[in-house]
Formats: sequence, structure tokens, C-alpha cells
Amino acid sequence: MAEETLLADDFLRQLINVGEVDILVGLPTHNNAGTIEPVIRAIQAGILKCFPRERTVIINADGGSRDGTTELVTRASIDDMWNASKVYALRTLHSISTQYAGTPEPGLALRTIFAAADLLRARACVVLSPESTTIETDWLQRLVRPVYDDNFDLVSPIYRRQKFEGVLMRNLLYPMTRAIYGCRVREPYASEFAISGRLATDFLNREIWNDELGRDGAEIFLTVAAITGQYRICQTFLGTKVQPPRSAPDLVAAMRHTVGALFSSLDGNFSFWSPITGSQPVPTLGADSEVTVEPARVNRKRLREMFATGVAELEPVFQSILSASTLSELQRIAQLEIDEFNYPAELWARTVFEFAAAYHRSVMNRDHIVQALVPLYRGRSLTFLLENREANAEDVERSVESLCGEFERMKPYLLEVWADRK
Amino acid sequence: MPLKREAGWYKNAIIYQIHVRSFFDSNGDGIGDFQGLAQKLNYVQELGVNTIWLMPFFPSPLRDDGYDISDYRSVHPSYGTLDDFKAFLASAHERGLRVIIELVANHTSDQHPWFQESRSSTSNPKRDWYVWSDTDSKYRGTRIIFVDTERSNWAWDPVSKAYYWHRFFSHQPDLNFDNPAVRQEMWNVMKFWLELGVDGFRLDAIPYLIEREGTSCENLPETHEVIRELRRKADEEFPGTMLLAEANQWPADLRPYFGNGDEFHMAFHFPLMPRMFMGLRLEDRKPITEILQQTPDIPASCQWCLFLRNHDELTLEMVTDIERDYMYDIYASDKSMRLNLGIRRRLAPLLDNDRRRIELMNGMLMSLPGTPIIYYGDEIGMGDNIYLGDRNGVRTPMQWSGGPNGGFSGADPESLYSPPIRNPVYGFQAVNVLSQERFDHSLLEWMKRLLQVRISTPVFGSGSIEFLHPANHRVLAYVRQLGKEMVLVVNNLSSSAQAVELDLRRYKGNILIEMFGKNIFPRIGDLAYLLTMGPYQFYWFRLRRI
Repeated sequence: MAEETLLADDFLRQLINVGEVDILVGLPTHNNAGTIEPVIRAIQAGILKCFPRERTVIINADGGSRDGTTELVTRASIDDMWNASKVYALRTLHSISTQYAGTPEPGLALRTIFAAADLLRARACVVLSPESTTIETDWLQRLVRPVYDDNFDLVSPIYRRQKFEGVLMRNLLYPMTRAIYGCRVREPYASEFAISGRLATDFLNREIWNDELGRDGAEIFLTVAAITGQYRICQTFLGTKVQPPRSAPDLVAAMRHTVGALFSSLDGNFSFWSPITGSQPVPTLGADSEVTVEPARVNRKRLREMFATGVAELEPVFQSILSASTLSELQRIAQLEIDEFNYPAELWARTVFEFAAAYHRSVMNRDHIVQALVPLYRGRSLTFLLENREANAEDVERSVESLCGEFERMKPYLLEVWADRK
Repeated sequence: MPLKREAGWYKNAIIYQIHVRSFFDSNGDGIGDFQGLAQKLNYVQELGVNTIWLMPFFPSPLRDDGYDISDYRSVHPSYGTLDDFKAFLASAHERGLRVIIELVANHTSDQHPWFQESRSSTSNPKRDWYVWSDTDSKYRGTRIIFVDTERSNWAWDPVSKAYYWHRFFSHQPDLNFDNPAVRQEMWNVMKFWLELGVDGFRLDAIPYLIEREGTSCENLPETHEVIRELRRKADEEFPGTMLLAEANQWPADLRPYFGNGDEFHMAFHFPLMPRMFMGLRLEDRKPITEILQQTPDIPASCQWCLFLRNHDELTLEMVTDIERDYMYDIYASDKSMRLNLGIRRRLAPLLDNDRRRIELMNGMLMSLPGTPIIYYGDEIGMGDNIYLGDRNGVRTPMQWSGGPNGGFSGADPESLYSPPIRNPVYGFQAVNVLSQERFDHSLLEWMKRLLQVRISTPVFGSGSIEFLHPANHRVLAYVRQLGKEMVLVVNNLSSSAQAVELDLRRYKGNILIEMFGKNIFPRIGDLAYLLTMGPYQFYWFRLRRI
């Protein structure tokens, strides 16, 4: 059950009014007024079109927006104060907003949403990103139906992405999750997904919420929990996903939330993942991952410089994390001009696994370990961009698949270095 | 002796709908009759209603359960004689029970002498008493009501070699109300029964009296003229006579039938009934409050008539397609339960024989604005027989006891007009008046208490309504007010316990007195008034400032 202090009294009062629901739609927000309106419209339309009979609630867990985000969400309510201009609905739709305690953190928002799902005994809990401006009415149905009708516990999304978007997902999170846990979930760190009520309750009761990393990487932990708990998992194709433009994407923070969480998840699940070899596909509804090839501007020179500088400046750190041969190879690559630059898949997989083992052994502050991986990831990104500069969609997928194969092939090496105390 | 007809008596009426044929058989022929009905008036009186509505009892070929009349001024021989009717009426009046009867004005049976004359030749004086045509292409914009059985509103008459107009079954030709002679004759029929002492009429199928090309042939201005004429005559010669409209229309379309208080006194609120069932199953007050908020104000002398079930199917004409699909799926999963655009089931089976839901629905029926109607047998939770054709499954014999034929008749079971319900759940051995009269907690005894409270609280009949809108949508709450008298009604539509906060600040200072147990609840203050309610529970509170 949810902790008593997690939910504010006023929010609890609103949940009492909502009562038991079939579907809970969660929206974690913080100052999203600029993008949330199409999302809200799509949710409301999705409910009215696809789930008119189901008891549904929209729960907005907000981190203290000051731009009117919460008002936009609550406006989606449909009640019995009759007004001819309102949309027609068979039943009441509550759209409620609560501000969770603490600083804005997606993990706190998710925890609040899951707590509400638990208290309201939701059969399906779907979380949508307030930044998904490309959302379509059918997204809700595609995420919810597998849970609601086919008893899946986790429905993970698949998107149509530009080939140079989601590079971290394609080069690290997906290949490593797949190799470690043997399950081909394309988006292990998804901002949109649906889960069953029983998985929501189970996940809510996990210890991860008590530390910052757990909260920041809740989506990764959720995917891992579903896999290791042997819940039924599937994927559903949603459509085009466009990353919202941000002034300065914080790659270090993103790596901490995702890669740090993934590394951390290995500690408690060793007995589960260590015997796994290869990987299994998960049922996929609709199209498989799609890639678009519109041109994108990438500063390759800067990526190479950041990689080379990182390799040079962090050498003392790498000496504690990497094997001598790996470090030596990286130093060699760092000398290459951009035209001949290549950070091969095998070396990348070895690098990541050595980092994971160092993380496990806590050879230094764990945050510093993840931080040290950032320049190396930039190097790998550069290779990905170079390799796929002229690639079509199929080539990109072949490249990702090849990298995944390399991670799976190298997994015994991870087991080897995992216990290595040297 | 006719009862004194105070103005507006119908507002505080509780109507009990009876089919003479189904109630009690006094002579052992297997068919209920007026002498039998008269013998059961004590039961009706003790139930706590104050008005009886009799379904058609006139001579008829009975191809539509009496709604196909062949003589407006007599009694079907199966039910007795006119003298039997008079005796019954006098006995009802002695008990303070008013009686309203059916006036099936729109059409007659094709066996009615008027139609026989009309069809006999084009020169017959009664030719224009019905709507004839050489083609079946007139009034094309008119919908067909009995879509399951009729393909056209015109039927070919081989005798007079012309088409005649019928909005219902083809054996029910529509009268031509454009003809002054027809209007006069219909008034003569009303006058005949009013002189005997009846207190009012339920006018059947009233929107369809007049036809005009290029229209839907429903709700036409000329129809209202006919109604106003009948009303004026009734007011002049028999003041206090109540006219009740049967018009299955949206509230806004029904509103004209009240006119300026110079047409009908009452009209059925058809769209409300399915939404009560919908709200109950959705566990959401929205369908109920929405339709009531869309219901226009009516003249002060007028009243809505509310019902849960009646002799017809639970009509789903006045709902949206989404709502109709929902109702079918929830309440008529077996397709044989469906008829036309409706569901042919009784109250108890519709509610899965759940006593709490039956009580809640009756509680709402009695407390929402309008005059309630109870369909015979629903007060004991009678079941239905969906294997009988048409709507006969909800017109089975009243179940008086666990004895032969459920105490309805001494005839051989084979000769009953309809087989009684015999299944283990709703059969007369399980559900009957005699057994329920023996226990205080039976549905029948509970209904008596409910009606007693309702009838002693005029605010329910005549008061205004103000909906509260608690954030908990599973709770339907409203305040009824008449002068200084105020009653708070709170209904939990949910199958689970609910907490609800009511904003009662405008009634601050009043204490709540629960109207069944007379217990006192805390005084209303500045804060939201918190109530906790059990599954399907409802409260009626009298507000008192002490």
C-alpha cells in the first residue's frame, strides 16, 4: 500500500471522489503548458472514443508548475454540470491535478501516479508524456488495450524516430538491457507506457523510491522489474516521436538517470541475469521500430574533440575502471582524424561492461563512474553517426541489431569482469 | 360517490398501474376481472398508493392487449360488465383511491364499427373518420414505430381498395382528427366515463393525432389544438379531471404538451427512466442529472409522471446510440429480451433481483420531481417471462400466494390467459403477496413504509429541486423544497461504500432528521457535510431549524 505521507490530504480527498477506476491515465508534468494541450485533447478524445464505458481518471502529478499546466489538465474533466457546448460522454471523467512534495522529479511524479493507481485499484495505468506533441488519439488505446483486454502487465512503446534521435537508446540502453536481461524491449526507458494494476502495486512497494537514483531511473527499474518479475510484456507501435527542443540537453544527468539506473539494477538481480544467454523477442503489436531519414545537423568535429579530450583528461579515472587493453585501444582511437574515426561495436560493448563491473564494485563514487562514461559515449555516438550518415532505415536497424549481437556475444566477458577484484 | 377533485390533486398522487386481466380472477375463468379487482382494493389501499391507472378494459379483439379498441363505451366481457366497473369505481372512491383510465384516441381496432363503416364505401358518412389514401407515398417523412413488425405506416384495405394510415400495428387504423365529428365523438367518449366518475385519462400515443405532408407527423400544432379543445371541455364540465399524456419524446419536445397550463396536466418523462438504469449501472449520476437539467420548466399546475417500469418495453428511443448499445449489453444480453427499441423486462430481473438496487431505484422514483407510478407486481419483485411473445412477458398474473396459479385464479392452469411465473427465483411460490405480508423486512412491507413517508411529505410532489454537485460522482444528491419545508435526498449509486462531502452551507444551522428512522444527524455548519453511505444506500433528511 502507498505510504500515508505520500499523498496530500486534498489529493486523497479527490481520489475518494473518483473511486475505483478501470483505467488511470497519468501525466507527470512540470511547466508543460506549451506542449500539453494536444496531449490532453488526445487523451480525452481517446477515452471518449475507445473507452466510453470504462471508469477512467486522468491524474496529473505536477512538480509545481507556474505556467498554468495544472489548469489545462483539470479543464479536461467532464461532469454533470450540463453545458451544451461540452463534448458528449456517457459517464463522468475526473481530471485532477496534485502537486507532489519535494523538488520536481519525474520519479516522484511516477510514484504519485502509481500510488493513485494502487488506491483506485486501476486495472490499467497508462503514463503519457506531456511533451508528446505528436500524440494521436489512438495512442491511449494502443497502450491500454493489451493490458485491459489481453492481460499484459507492461506495454512498452515503439516509435518512428529520426535516425539520429534516440542514439543513447540505440547504442547503450537497448543493447545492454537486451543482452543482460535477455528481453528485447526497444524502449527500456520510456516516457510513455502502460502497466497493469498488479505491476503498479508491486512496483510501488519496491525500495527504489527511497534513493534519488531509484526515483530518477524509475522507468528503467520498472522495465527491469517487469522482466525479472516475469510479468507479461509486450510492445506497441505508437507513431512518430519527436524530442522537444531543449536549450541545453544535460547528457550527464540523462546518463545518470538511465545508464546509472541500469548499472544499479544489475546488483540485486545477478542470479536472474547471469545465466541468461541470447535474447528473446517480446510480442509486438503494430509496426516494429521505424526510422526516418530526414537530414539532421550534427557537429561531428566537436564530438570527436570531446571524446579525445575526455580520454586524455580522465586517464587516471579510466585506469581504475577499464582494463589496460581497453584503455590503450581507446587512446589509439582518440588519435584518429575524423575521417578514419571508428569506435567499433566490440570495443564499445567491452567498455560498457567494464564500466558496469566497476560500478558494481564501486571502485569510486558511482556517479563519477557514470560521468566518466559520457565522453566515451560521445565517441561511440560519433561512430554511429558516421556509419549511418548515408544509411537508409534498414541500414540503421541492421546496425543496431549488429550492436545488440555484439553485446550478447560479449556477455560472458561481463560475468568474467563482474567478480574480478583486481 | 366521486371523490372531491381538488386542483392539483395529481401532484401528490402515487399511481398504481393495473391491468384488470392480470390482477385477480373472481369467477375462475382464468382471466382477471373487475369483481376480482374490487376484492383486492384493500391490498391496493394498504400498499399506500392513492390512484389507480387501469390499462384498457374495453371490448377489443385483443391483438394489442386492449390498445385496439372496438367499443369505447363498454367493458370487455372477459373483465365483467359496465356495472362491475361502476361497483369497482365506487369501492375505490370509498377508499380514497382515484381511478384514471386509458383513452386510446389515436386509433381504433380495425374491428371497430366506425372503421367497418368507413371502409365500406367512399361515400359512407364515416369515411373521413380515418385517414385514407389512394397511394402509400404520402407522409414519407414519418418514422415507423413498431420497426420489428411493420414496414410501412400505410396498409392496403382490400375492401375499400385504398390505403389507410396507421402509426402502430396495421390492425390499428388511425382516426382522422382533422374531422370535427371525430373530435366531438372523442369528447363524447370522455364525457361518458367522466359522468361515471373516473378521475382522469391517460391519453395514449398523443403526438400522432394529426398528419401533414412534409412533416414527421408528430407533435404538430394542429394536434395541440385538439388537446386544448378536449382540455377546455373537461375543465368546463368536469373540473379537476386530470389528463396524462403518453408521448415518448424528448423533454423539450414534450414541453408544448403542457401548453400554458391549458393542455395536459401531466406527461410521462420517458427519457429519465432509462437514464436511471444507466446511472445505476455506470455508478455515475451524470445521465440522470443531465437529462433533468435539460428538462424545461413546466407550468406550475403541471407535473411530470415518473416510472421505472410499465406494461411496455423499457423504451430506448430517447437515448443516444452509445447509450442504447450500453443498455442492451448491460440489461438485455439475451437478444430475446429486446423488442423494438427497448427491453421487455420487469424491474426485479433488470436489477438482478438485488434488493438494495430495487430499493434505491424506488427511493429515487419517489423523491425526484414528479408523480410516481408503480407497475403492478413490482412492489413484490415479480419476475418476467421472456419466452412469451411481444410484451406479454411483463403482463403475467399477479402473484398473490404460493397456492395454485399463485392465488390469481381458481381456474385450471391451462385456461389462464397467461402462464404465471414459475421459475425458482421469481415464481409465485417464492415471490408472492401472502408471504411478504408476513415479514416486516419483505420488499412489500418496505415499499409500504416508503410510500407512507412519500405520501406524507408534500414537498416530494410539489416542491422544487436543486441538485448538489458533490465531487463524488457516484452520489446523486438534491434538495427538494416547498415553502419552508426542505428535504435533502442523497443516493449512493455505487455497489461499494462511499464517502461524500456535501456543500450545504446555504442551509447552515439546520439539523438533519432522517425520515425513516427519525434519527437526528449533526447540524449543518460552515464545513462540507460529510456522509458515509453503504452500497446503494439512500437517505432522505428533513431539514429543520431548531
